Amino acid sequence: MSPSTPAAAPAGAIRGSIAAIGTATLGAARDAGGIVVLAAEVLRSLFPHFDSVEDRGSSTDPAQSPVRSVRSRSLRLRWPSIDGRELVRNLYKMGWRSLPIVTMTALFVGGLMVIQFASFVQQYGARGLVGWGTGYAVLREVGPLMIGLMFSGRVGANNAAELGTMTVTEQIDGLQALAIDPIRYLIVPRVLAMMITLAVMTMVGDAVAILGVMLSSQLILDIHPLTVWYSLVQNIGVGDFLHGMGKSLVFGAAIALSSCYFGLTVKGGAIGVGKAVNAAVVSAAVSICFLDFLMTYLTA
Amino acid sequence: MLNATAQGLAIELVGVGKRFGSRTVLGGVDLRIARGARLGVIGPATGGKSVLLKIIAGLYRPEAGLVRVAGRIGMLFQNCALFDFLSVADNVAFPLVQEGGVPAAEIEPRVAARLRAVGLAGSERKLPSELSGGMKKRVGLARATVATPDVVLYDEPTAGLDPVTTAKIYGLLRADHDARGSTAVVVSSDVDAVAAFADTIAFVDGGGVRWIGPAAGLRDADDARVRDFARGTP
Amino acid sequence: MTTATRTRRTITSIGSRTLETVAAVAELGSVAAQTLAGAVFGYWRGKRPAGGIARQMYFVGNRSLLFVLVTLGFVGMVMVYQTCLLTTKVVDGRNQVGAQWIRLLVLDVGPSLTAMMLATRVGAGIAAEIGSMKVTEQLDALRMSGVTPVRYLIVPRFLACVFMTVVLSMFGIAASWAAGGLTGYYSFQINPRIFFDVSMVEPAHVVVGLIKAATFGAAIPIVSGFCGLRARGSSEGVGAATTSAVIGSSFAVIVLDLVISFVAMTAFGAG
Repeated sequence: MSPSTPAAAPAGAIRGSIAAIGTATLGAARDAGGIVVLAAEVLRSLFPHFDSVEDRGSSTDPAQSPVRSVRSRSLRLRWPSIDGRELVRNLYKMGWRSLPIVTMTALFVGGLMVIQFASFVQQYGARGLVGWGTGYAVLREVGPLMIGLMFSGRVGANNAAELGTMTVTEQIDGLQALAIDPIRYLIVPRVLAMMITLAVMTMVGDAVAILGVMLSSQLILDIHPLTVWYSLVQNIGVGDFLHGMGKSLVFGAAIALSSCYFGLTVKGGAIGVGKAVNAAVVSAAVSICFLDFLMTYLTA
Repeated sequence: MLNATAQGLAIELVGVGKRFGSRTVLGGVDLRIARGARLGVIGPATGGKSVLLKIIAGLYRPEAGLVRVAGRIGMLFQNCALFDFLSVADNVAFPLVQEGGVPAAEIEPRVAARLRAVGLAGSERKLPSELSGGMKKRVGLARATVATPDVVLYDEPTAGLDPVTTAKIYGLLRADHDARGSTAVVVSSDVDAVAAFADTIAFVDGGGVRWIGPAAGLRDADDARVRDFARGTP
Repeated sequence: MTTATRTRRTITSIGSRTLETVAAVAELGSVAAQTLAGAVFGYWRGKRPAGGIARQMYFVGNRSLLFVLVTLGFVGMVMVYQTCLLTTKVVDGRNQVGAQWIRLLVLDVGPSLTAMMLATRVGAGIAAEIGSMKVTEQLDALRMSGVTPVRYLIVPRFLACVFMTVVLSMFGIAASWAAGGLTGYYSFQINPRIFFDVSMVEPAHVVVGLIKAATFGAAIPIVSGFCGLRARGSSEGVGAATTSAVIGSSFAVIVLDLVISFVAMTAFGAG
């Protein structure tokens, strides 16, 4: 039956869409701000810092709350401490979880690059350039970008879902009630683990992609794998590799922070968790593309 | 599933078995419910009563046995299962629109009448997210009964509701079944409320109907487990 | 635990996992078949779902436009920048960069990257929506009225997604090309007239690009809808469904990209 909504007056429609744009902008600004604040909190807990600590003392003033003892606040120096066991557990879990998809993606991307390169080879007879061209693209650009995106879809999304479920089932509140700082205990190990895992996965992925390139140039273009290899090692430097590695570390941090932020700010049960995962992967993709540009521009 | 049932039976289950993977949820359930009867189904949480209801509804296909239901079925789901992208009126109209056979001009008045009957006239344009728990139940009730089903299945119709709202919901159920003489099957954890509504109670546990008898005699049932369950004795 | 029991347990778990995988693949195939059948035969017949195709197009298209423009724009800048760096070192191919970039965009990068972005944005959205409906029994309520979830929920999303992926790919290509041209001009002083040169793009490339975009657009709602339909439990289930939708549809895009590229290359040399 789907009753047709009465056609809104054009002015109302325009006002409505402007309001919608405004709301969306505000929301995006709030999320971006939240991610930056989370990043600052994570960074702070990685360095010696002062924390405001509650000191419990007995109350002598009857005007104070009769139920609770008086609390005063004092600053205490805290040395950075990382929950090592949580970090190792996350490293293992994330690495194991993303390894299959990373290797498969990298292998296929290697094949794709050769197919795209084939027309150059046919046009210019540039057989000796296959290793150089694809290696340059894989190490500096395609490797970190594609593996970053897939990592975000696998590990980032999973992390947002996990933290989101913890949030809606009030487990995070439970931690805070036990005076355990969720940033230190939950977030810092995850951020570090994602950065390290993505860097390692990018290395693995780069290697597999180059393997894929060598394999498919033999199959598609009938170029010997060693020809590809020599062309690669003669023209590609450590700088190109490090360029990609730097990117993957930054992408890892971006994926981790956005997935943690959206996981911790879930509202509204099962539907909310789904929305949080959605928001986490979308903002990770935007951040990856933007940071990719920034890193390329700054380090070139 | 056949719609023809002999001898005034609304629902007939013969040797129904259901498994999920290697776990047997129901085994050899026999159940005969007369037309116009009101059956309450009680039992422990994992005993299989919701699965039994969904088998009657045709949502689960049993591995063994026979299920016969006479006529149309309506169902009220545990958390109402209102379509959150449709307004209240569109939710209630949904069975009429989709099951067909109802002229388009008749749909709106019928929906309005149903919503009036459950006391929600004026909320047609609201979305489910704007409703309270009790209101959602009433919308779900209106949707379950709008197509004048011969059998209405209720999965925990009063879970999470306060006693006053619970009484109101059962009042609505009673009014509807009195008016149309339709058959009701109510799965509920609220033993007292369901026993007050139903004429017969079935105790389901361990994948089968362990006891069935008149609702009035539930607290003094000849089966100790049923008695303890009804009285809340641990 | 003895070695024998451990071995037996391992074999049992491998066996049951294999069975589960086979069942899942069969289910995915059935969802795909039902969706295609619904899209071709059933959509205009019978009652129109209230979550109609126009609404889905709005969700897929309009709500993802900015996202696609931004991401593809940045990728365009990066790729042109990197390529220009490469060309300074050896060949004097800088004047070729623009023409090659639009060729690569039309043929591959435009559709595949747009689809990767839509896999995260739209795929996650579809799985979250259908998954939430599953765990709140709304799918059962649909079936009580004789409505199949695939036809009512996935088919409109499928049609909208196929159409909108093609449209958004065009926007993405335009954004990426324009952003690349700006980068070329400001960072490497490439004359825009030389950069914006479409002489390398052949009709066959456009056809391949369109086929890719439509195929990716078809794969995303099928894979994500399948993941949503399989959701179990409550918030954990929806989260897991959303996650597997993102990774599943992204991976489907990559695999299909390779397959179509390879077929196109062997068929008419236009990888």
